Amino acid sequence: MYGLEAIQAHNGWAMAFTGAIIVITGLSVLSLIISQLHRIIDMIDNRSDRKSKKLNARSQAAVSESKPELPPLSNLGETMNRFKPLTKEIGDPFDLAALFRIFKLHNDPHPHLTIRSLREQGYLVPAGEGLFSWKHQ
Amino acid sequence: MDLFIQFLTNTGYYLADYRHLIMLVVGSTFVYLAIAKKYEPLLLLPIGFGVIVGNIPFFKGFGLGIYEPNSVLHYLYFGVTSGLYPSIVFLGLGAMTDFSSLLVRPKLMLLGAAAQMGIYFTLLSALAFGFLPKEAASIAIIGGADGPTSIFLTAKLAPHLIGPVAIAAYSYMALIPIIQPPIMRLLTTRQERLIRMPDVERTVSRKELLLFPVIGVILCCFLAPASIPLLGTFFFGNLMKVSGVVDRLAKTAASSIIDTATIFLGFTVGASTQGDVFLTPKSVGIFVLGAVAFSIATASGVLFAKLMNLFMKSKINPLLGAAGVSAVPGSAREVHLVGQKEDPSNYLLMHAMACNSSGVIGSAICAGILWSFLA
Repeated sequence: MYGLEAIQAHNGWAMAFTGAIIVITGLSVLSLIISQLHRIIDMIDNRSDRKSKKLNARSQAAVSESKPELPPLSNLGETMNRFKPLTKEIGDPFDLAALFRIFKLHNDPHPHLTIRSLREQGYLVPAGEGLFSWKHQ
Repeated sequence: MDLFIQFLTNTGYYLADYRHLIMLVVGSTFVYLAIAKKYEPLLLLPIGFGVIVGNIPFFKGFGLGIYEPNSVLHYLYFGVTSGLYPSIVFLGLGAMTDFSSLLVRPKLMLLGAAAQMGIYFTLLSALAFGFLPKEAASIAIIGGADGPTSIFLTAKLAPHLIGPVAIAAYSYMALIPIIQPPIMRLLTTRQERLIRMPDVERTVSRKELLLFPVIGVILCCFLAPASIPLLGTFFFGNLMKVSGVVDRLAKTAASSIIDTATIFLGFTVGASTQGDVFLTPKSVGIFVLGAVAFSIATASGVLFAKLMNLFMKSKINPLLGAAGVSAVPGSAREVHLVGQKEDPSNYLLMHAMACNSSGVIGSAICAGILWSFLA
């Protein structure tokens, strides 16, 4: 059998037409998906970025609520000048527990932090045997 | 004396007939083209030498020939008839393929689909010429211009045609520089050939490269499950390459593994073309239809690109359609060269590679579709 008759008899038209439609549809869908792939990835990335930013902001807020900020370094000198006269009654050198009590008595909101900052920045100088003095200006 | 005469009658010189001589000339021509002209040497050299080896006459019954059970060549040929070598070649191809150019130019994938129309047109032509449906499908797949895919489908549908189909497919792939340019020039105007493709600024992210083989294998293999042996390994090879965590495996797949499979595939396919089996009127028909398939595939791609231009704001250079056949990278290179002949500063190679890699996927899907229609 030859010619159109053979094509007809072997279902050739249907095979060719269906096959062509399937391969064009398949590759078109794949093409469509990959054309949008980078957008989908960007969207997912942005979403997760936004989520992590939100989480970071929340945790930062939580930290700032639970942990008071350190006194600004520029104010430490002022703090020393303010409290120096008040510590005359506990002598010089003095121990930090006595200084803590004075800070608390005068309503310093974060006596521990203030003392730590004063020590770290050298406004409180070790005088031996666990005692401290104010830095000489 | 009797022993000597018996020995003489068993030699190839005594047993040779004109068909062996013709095939020896064919094999030698392939070897010459591979070495002197460098036409697809990776394919033509093993095939050509295989043709020479397969056409050395021998006394049947010694267990020597490729079609004789328990012969060494027969065992090596099992990789062809079972579809094993094409599958391995696809693994290596996947590990070599860079889909970046396709991912930034997804619309070019349509040209890879359009170029497959040559397959279906040839299916109809082969049926009209009196071939049986399974034979017609095996011949039609030559239009995909993909050697391993042609061998795979023929091994499944019409194993007796593996030799002629494989030789035709690889010959036409080697003859791309001769077949494609005239068709491209015939179907396009100079103005069209001068069209410049816009450069895409976007860089492809690693996530895209990783997702593509996964999405590709799911989508294509769900559509045509019969293409799993080809596309499954193809996308797996590509995932190994882009994942970056199994560099050793990816490199081996892209070098030693594909090379080994190519050697045995080419050599045994060549050896399967024994004159008495190969030189038949059917083989001549297969060669003619193969040329038709390849030419129509090229023309379909070019014409589809012109059709797309009717609807698109930024025009596509229609030459790119010719790269929709899956002869990687031969057809992409040819498209680039034809484009450069018109305008030496027009670089079409990367765009053509996008069409080329989608052609590989397209022809494997077509093979799966035809196998599922006719199995």
